[in-house]
Amino acid sequence: MSARIAELLRRQTTTLALVVVAGVAVLAIQSGGEFLAPISVTTFFEFLAIPIVIGLAQMATLAVGQMNLAVGSIGGFAACLAGVLAADLGLPGWLAGLAAVLVGLVAGVLNGVIVVLTQINGFVVTLATMTILAGAQYALVGTRTITSASWAGLQSLGDLRPLGIPLIFWFAVVLAVALSAAYRHLLPAREMLASGGNPLAATLSGISNSRALITAHGLSGLLCGIAALLVMVSLPGVNKSIGGDWLLASFAAPIIGGVSLTGGSVAVLGTVLAATIVRLVDSARAAFQLDPSWVNLVIGAVVLGTVALDRFRSRAPRAAAPTTTGPVPRRPVVEGAAS
Amino acid sequence: MNAAGAAGGSPAGATKDAPSAAHGVARAEHEVGERIDRGVDPSTRARFGRLVSDNRVGLVLLIVVLAVVIGSARPMFWNANFVLGPMLTTVAIYTVVGLAQMTVLSVGQMNLAVGGMAATGAMASAIAFDRLGVSLPVGILVGILVGAAIGALCGVLVAKAGVNSFVVTLAMSFALLGLVPAVYAWVSTGAAISADVEGLDLLGRGRTSDLCLGDVCGPAGIPLLVILAIVVMAVVGFLFARTRFGREVLLTGSNQRAALLSAVPVDRRVISVHALSGGLAALAGIMLGASTGSFTPAIGQEFMLQSFLGPILGGTLLVGGYVSVLGTFLGITLTVLIRQGLMLFGVGIEGLNILLGSVLLLALCTDRIRTVMSQRSRLRASLAPVPVAGAAAPEGASPSTAGAER
Repeated sequence: MSARIAELLRRQTTTLALVVVAGVAVLAIQSGGEFLAPISVTTFFEFLAIPIVIGLAQMATLAVGQMNLAVGSIGGFAACLAGVLAADLGLPGWLAGLAAVLVGLVAGVLNGVIVVLTQINGFVVTLATMTILAGAQYALVGTRTITSASWAGLQSLGDLRPLGIPLIFWFAVVLAVALSAAYRHLLPAREMLASGGNPLAATLSGISNSRALITAHGLSGLLCGIAALLVMVSLPGVNKSIGGDWLLASFAAPIIGGVSLTGGSVAVLGTVLAATIVRLVDSARAAFQLDPSWVNLVIGAVVLGTVALDRFRSRAPRAAAPTTTGPVPRRPVVEGAAS
Repeated sequence: MNAAGAAGGSPAGATKDAPSAAHGVARAEHEVGERIDRGVDPSTRARFGRLVSDNRVGLVLLIVVLAVVIGSARPMFWNANFVLGPMLTTVAIYTVVGLAQMTVLSVGQMNLAVGGMAATGAMASAIAFDRLGVSLPVGILVGILVGAAIGALCGVLVAKAGVNSFVVTLAMSFALLGLVPAVYAWVSTGAAISADVEGLDLLGRGRTSDLCLGDVCGPAGIPLLVILAIVVMAVVGFLFARTRFGREVLLTGSNQRAALLSAVPVDRRVISVHALSGGLAALAGIMLGASTGSFTPAIGQEFMLQSFLGPILGGTLLVGGYVSVLGTFLGITLTVLIRQGLMLFGVGIEGLNILLGSVLLLALCTDRIRTVMSQRSRLRASLAPVPVAGAAAPEGASPSTAGAER
């Protein structure tokens, strides 16, 4: 039992949860309790849904040892395309939202196909598609902002507040739970983890690495498309700047959340908690009236520190492994790959 | 990351023979890269084949054709003051950025913080000029050293902590993205520093026609920054082609394990390569600041895509072990030329982005096709079984298979 508690304490998610609690406490004290008022709680969660989804989108590619630099431009492009469809072509709001999700999926699958065909590092491929899609997004909307009046029905969903918390946040939570379950039980998801953990072992076990890569990129794109849908639901309009600042958030959440960068593991809960921490930093920045650039500095430093610490941590337990071996998996969702 | 470069590659780089010594830096570095299809018999035919398959020849042809097409359709292109001069300045700056990326690619890693390092280096120089009142060379040196220090920090994290270079430099770029505007806001009032140092203006905006030796002046239209870029190219090229350091770096990139077993201090080489990259990026940032006359946090924002485009188009391998200084320069020249041409034809910024991204994708595809073709021909020639290891493609086959090709 004590080993189990020690294991729990060493888990990254425990640390992250403690950081979240501490952050909330600090902010609540600093604002004299105002931070816990219903209105600020609603705002807090409203702007947390999208970071969670894009963090999960990045996690999906990290699981196969790839990365997706195009999260922001896929999301931005999908949102703008849907906006144009709704505003200029008169598509009903829900159809435009569906189009955004589909566009994200298609873009992600394309990324995957290009990665498989060229056998080139996904980083460079998505760098290229990022540039292309960012250009396409600008070409679509230029300098204009399409207001959400064109999809008023869809947008009204964003005003729903079950239990005082925005619907889109609940949606993000459901999405995370579903993903977590999928990574545990679903065959394609298990194959992605196996392929990411050890491609050679995956091949020898009859798993197609190419299919895993395409599925992972497709899933990532799909999540970007969903993020675009959330943008349409929650923001007053879409323009060329949508998605421009997603890249850091998308990497920060999974990396701080404990997703291995070499592939083979995911940490859905960790990603969600880390996205919450990033959101807390942003709230603190607003509370202390600092320049927005400080958020980048802090997050960048935290990511660097996490990466270095993670290395340190993964070395330390290995030496002490015999004492803590047991049926407890090292991380909640993470289990070793096929090897 | 270093999956590809295999046994065949390592000795080819180290035991370069005498005959090619006279061919200059570019030639020599080509030899370094010839680890895959280094023929036993360097007959004229083989040489011709090598010339044709060398993508730098294709790049030169493409650049010439494009320049002629653009120039004849829009005669404005040849205007030295408004088009050609600024374009060459851009080429010079981006070439240095490309070299900064290339040095890291040589060990099979990457530097996503080129932009951030450029911004920080430029900022350090600007502060040195503005606050400490140092002279031009000292200020530039300060900037380069700051960039190199940041690069070295990344290198230490990569080499000692064993973290993926991608993540380290990405996190570093985020940190710098936050740090630079914060420092600018703290140091200056308008979030920009217009350094007023003797010679900076001449360096950034001077042309060869400003340099006079008695009555003889240089040709008009060539910015001085181009000369600086050429010097940097020569130094980097010399480093990789002629020095022990360069060879050890390339061996590290080709096969880290082999390098380690050959007593190459791999960790130190990785760190110094990152430091070199940081220094070069900082220099590029300073060049950009000098050419526009003001140092702002916006310096380096456009560097990342360019930094990858140049080396990749120029034939530098992403997996490490092979670099091409001249190819990087040509790749950058091509992309800048495309940009300039599109701008002359009135295509907007969105078109530029779409096209540049497509160029990168196209380059990747052709690179892949070339690899597959060379693998197939080698397979056919040798009839040797090639291991089916998806990701770890047999780039460098064993020396015996490579020999059997001819």
